[in-house]
Amino acid sequence: MSGDLAGGPLVTVRGVHRSFGSGPTAVHALRDVSFDVTAGTMVALVGRSGSGKTTLLNIVGGLDHPDAGTVVVDGAEVTGLDDDGLSQLRRAKVAYVFQTFGLIPVMTAAENVGVPLRLARMPTAERERRVELLLELVGLADHGEQRPAELSGGQQQRVAIARALAASPRLVIADEPTGQLDAETGLSVMALLRGVVESEGVTVLVSTHDPVMMALADRVMRMHDGQVDP
Amino acid sequence: MLRLLARRTRAQWPLLAALLAIVTIGATLLGTCALLVTRTATQALEVVAARADADDVKATAYTVAVRSSDGRSVAADTRDVLTSALAPFPTTTTTRASSVMRSLPIGPEVGGMPAETYLSGLDDLPARALLAAGRWPRATTDPAAAPEAVVLESTARMLKLSPGSRVHLGEERSLEPGRALDVTVVGVARPLPGTGWDRDPLAGAGYDLAYQDGRSTVHAYGPFLVDLADLYASDSVLGRLEVTARPDLSHPERRDLDAVTRNVADADRRLERALADRVRIQRVESRLPLTLDHARQQQQVTAAAVLAVAVLGCVLAATALALAGRLTAGVRTAESTLLSALGVGRGQFAAAATVEGSALAVLAGAIAIPASSASHAGLTHLPPLSGAGLAVGPGVNGAQVLAVAAGAVALAAVLVVLAIRRAPDGGERHHRRELLARSGADLLLVALAAIGWWQMDAQPTGSGARADAVRVLAPALVLTAGAALALRVAPHALRGVDRLARKARGLAFPLAAIEAARRSHAMAAGLLIGLACAAGTFGIALNATWERSQRDQADLSVGTDLTLTLAAAPRAADGAAVTAATGGTASPAVDRGIAVGQWIGSAGEPPRLVAVDTTRAGALLRGRLDGDRTWADVGAALAPPAPAAGVPVPAGAPLAITGTATGGTPLAVTPRLLLQDATGLRTACNGETIPLDGRTYRLPDCAPVDGLRLVAVVLPVAGLPGAAGGDIAVTLTVPGAAPASPWTATSAPPEPGQIARPAVAVTGTSAGTRLTMTATVQLTGPEVAARTLVASAFPDPGPVPVAVSTRFADELNVHKGSELSLSIGTTPVTIEVAEILPTVPGAPGAAAILADVDTLSRALAVTGNLEFPMDAWWVGKPARADAAARAADLYLGAVSTRAAEAARLAGSPPSAGLPAALRLLVPAATLLLFAGVVLHVTFDLRVRAVEVARLRGLGMYRREIRAVLLGQHAGILLPLLMAGAVVGALATHLVAPLMVRSDTGAAPVPAVVSTWPWAAEAALLAVLLAGCVLAATVVVVAQANRADAAHLRVTS
Repeated sequence: MSGDLAGGPLVTVRGVHRSFGSGPTAVHALRDVSFDVTAGTMVALVGRSGSGKTTLLNIVGGLDHPDAGTVVVDGAEVTGLDDDGLSQLRRAKVAYVFQTFGLIPVMTAAENVGVPLRLARMPTAERERRVELLLELVGLADHGEQRPAELSGGQQQRVAIARALAASPRLVIADEPTGQLDAETGLSVMALLRGVVESEGVTVLVSTHDPVMMALADRVMRMHDGQVDP
Repeated sequence: MLRLLARRTRAQWPLLAALLAIVTIGATLLGTCALLVTRTATQALEVVAARADADDVKATAYTVAVRSSDGRSVAADTRDVLTSALAPFPTTTTTRASSVMRSLPIGPEVGGMPAETYLSGLDDLPARALLAAGRWPRATTDPAAAPEAVVLESTARMLKLSPGSRVHLGEERSLEPGRALDVTVVGVARPLPGTGWDRDPLAGAGYDLAYQDGRSTVHAYGPFLVDLADLYASDSVLGRLEVTARPDLSHPERRDLDAVTRNVADADRRLERALADRVRIQRVESRLPLTLDHARQQQQVTAAAVLAVAVLGCVLAATALALAGRLTAGVRTAESTLLSALGVGRGQFAAAATVEGSALAVLAGAIAIPASSASHAGLTHLPPLSGAGLAVGPGVNGAQVLAVAAGAVALAAVLVVLAIRRAPDGGERHHRRELLARSGADLLLVALAAIGWWQMDAQPTGSGARADAVRVLAPALVLTAGAALALRVAPHALRGVDRLARKARGLAFPLAAIEAARRSHAMAAGLLIGLACAAGTFGIALNATWERSQRDQADLSVGTDLTLTLAAAPRAADGAAVTAATGGTASPAVDRGIAVGQWIGSAGEPPRLVAVDTTRAGALLRGRLDGDRTWADVGAALAPPAPAAGVPVPAGAPLAITGTATGGTPLAVTPRLLLQDATGLRTACNGETIPLDGRTYRLPDCAPVDGLRLVAVVLPVAGLPGAAGGDIAVTLTVPGAAPASPWTATSAPPEPGQIARPAVAVTGTSAGTRLTMTATVQLTGPEVAARTLVASAFPDPGPVPVAVSTRFADELNVHKGSELSLSIGTTPVTIEVAEILPTVPGAPGAAAILADVDTLSRALAVTGNLEFPMDAWWVGKPARADAAARAADLYLGAVSTRAAEAARLAGSPPSAGLPAALRLLVPAATLLLFAGVVLHVTFDLRVRAVEVARLRGLGMYRREIRAVLLGQHAGILLPLLMAGAVVGALATHLVAPLMVRSDTGAAPVPAVVSTWPWAAEAALLAVLLAGCVLAATVVVVAQANRADAAHLRVTS
């Protein structure tokens, strides 16, 4: 189903509802959210804590299920996929960049970058070349054998971005990627993501509070009380 | 703070429940072991006393030279002393007395030899003899009447007595001779074997034609068994007066047994005071103190091993708690950081930890006391304790409560120490310091273990039974050090796997290997899992090693499958009876202390002589041999070259002897014949002295049963004083035909030259087989010369080939080919060392000699000594299941079997505690291992929940995550289990043989061989593996299923 969608919507979200709990104490995290994300763009999702940004990203990435509504990513209806289908979607089309980097602490930077390539069972030599390229892309060619604990926060997030790009996904979902970084480091990470959108042609859906990030985005969507502001 | 504790308890109750369970298991193990070494030990002593053989607990007072007028009072006072010494146990007493010898005018006199006899009285005569004719004697009421007497069958036969015979007994042979008296024979009795006739002056034989009465050799007959009252009234001097007291120990109390032990030891002095000058010698003899001391020694040996098991269990529980404490501290890190930030000081943390630890200790103690009581009661209802009669209901004692309380407090203290330990700062310096400390601790542990092992290895073979710190602590030290070392090796192996896994294309295997090899907490439970597995496998192997050693000791101690130690001299019919009763290979056996040259042994242990029919050694002898040798091989080196064929003697056949002599003076011979049955038993048949006057004389009935063969004839030649000697020719005619067999004639030492040209010829005639023995006798010359012509169906064997024990060879510095001389009775026998054995069957650990009983008998016979050396029957491979009972029914003597001895050693009440404790250790180690695994994987679940969710975010399928997690846990748990098993096996090899001691605390003989029961060990490892897999699978499945957006939300 992944047709040539350049310029068209890569992500289509329609009428998504998600609530946690039930009865009077239920929390409505998302209320009738609908939007499109054009392929090859960088969309910033902004809003206060508790506005539903992370819930929305998890649903788009197939980590969570909406109570109602549909999500289509690169032609695949995420809400209709089973567990294995969702895993396959994340493995092939969607990559995550977590606020806390999400690196596997016992692996080196190079091994972390190689995780999606191992999942794709890429031959070893080809994998090693790709990892080398990606580390070079994020400016960490000399840090491949270091473990996350031996890297700075910015370096760790660069490794996370390299890992996200490793399997050439169509969509990168980044949940507050600069949340734990100082301003300068955050800016460099955002610049890297922006560069990736332009050089690799991937689509980036990023949640952030960072005004600089908003400035680098092609489009800014504001969330408020579980809804996307028009 | 208390409120915080209460809330934390509610929130973390599963964790606290796990801690409580571990403390409770440790305290319960200690409590159970405390009950085993106190309550069970006390009960074991009581059971030993209750089950002891009557002969092992009786007390006998021997008095010598009592005037008959004092007899009654001496007997009464002796009874009082014995009864009070054995109080408070009810006691039954029996009395037996024998007078000194007195002349017997009616006795036949041959060669001028006088006859003597004696009176005896037994107050339980009907229990010791079987009435063959007449009735038992009654006390005479008329002082003038002749006392009534019963005589033994053999006496009656020799003296031609029957009920109604009146016998005149002459004066006593003493300085103040008692008057002569008449007795009336009212009955004839047959002595029952094993009923104390060995204490009779003639050992119940009824007569002795060569009795040494202290002044000369006489013909002795007797006893004339009269009522004790008549004996006291007979004006005789009582040469022996014995009173035996038998306590009823069916329901003994430990304190009463202790009191009796002291009182019996003191009874000698009290008896001396009570009897004063009414007796010349008095002595109290009892094996009761020895029996109880032996049981106490066994208890101490067992207690040392049980305490070693308890220490091992305690170390395991402490290790489990250390793990739990570290994990708990990890779980509470955030909380502690917050509280520290809020101003809570170390003192308050310590107070909170102490309150929590104390509560755990109290709760664990409260559970462990009834739990250990129930566990102990349960154990006592299982073999071997149940079989040893030690089954009891649940009970509580002080030692148990103390052990449980101390254990619970000590274990809870481990938690407190871990809780108040300063949190690591995570810096490189701290990490290095920690590594250094751990390395130092490991080194110290290894050094202590090495010292402990060396101390155990160096302990003397005869060290005492008392428990010492080395024997108690060393096993736990060795196992812990082994597990710690294995833990140092495991990461290196995992790193190898890690390097290998990196080359793989997929993710699951590399990720599992990397997680197992590199995660800092991956080996957190390593020491516990390795140690628990090592302890479990070691426990099973130690039990198997101990059981095998008991069997080995029993094999060597008994020496064969069944022994029947003779209570009286063997008779010709006994061999067939023993064979029929047991259905096995029966052999006459020698088992006695001897003198080798001038050497009578060391440390009060005379060298032992064991001799059996070595042509059947393979079937007869038991005990572990070194190398590839078998008992058949050893026997072949000792056996005579050919069996002695001899001349068959039909049952009841009349044997005739005739002889002639040249020269002017009449000569006479006293023929003695040696007959052999199918089992190899040889019995001598003595004829009366016959003159060599050409007439034919009938010999006594020498063949009461079929199957006997005449194998030797001894003819001591005598003549009137002044006779010079001459040529003699003696012909013995045995009815029936005999196959041709070579006979040899010789002259017996000393001074064999007094008989020249000894010869023997065997011819078959219509009257039977004739043995014609000829020689030239010289009666002049040295008086000590034997002048005995010996004809035998075998040649002089020369030096008797023997196998000697290593200890014998070491102590006498002999080797193969060495010749020595040993004494059988008063006859010297030359032996030659043909084999050196680790130890001789039936004489474990002793300086001992193994020989062929036939060859020994031949060596004696060619010297004119027809005494057949025999102390027992040894039976190999008995075919009948009830062989022991049937052998006992022969009343030939005491029966013991290899199987019964093995059962006694393994299942005796004082010894049964060790296997019971080991049965406790294995499940305790298993439970603690499972607790460690659950703690390990649960902690991993908490720590890695977010990471696992992120792996889902990266596109891993749940099944892949499960595979990774299971692979990771398998990569850690499997090597740890294997390492634990290896440590257990090494410890079994190194320590188990040193932990097993004999029931006296000495090193067992034969040396202990470590045993690794593959099937049981495999079963245990399978259970451990299954438990680990189950625990890991449950947690991993839960972990994989919970890996969703909720976990990502927590941190992101």
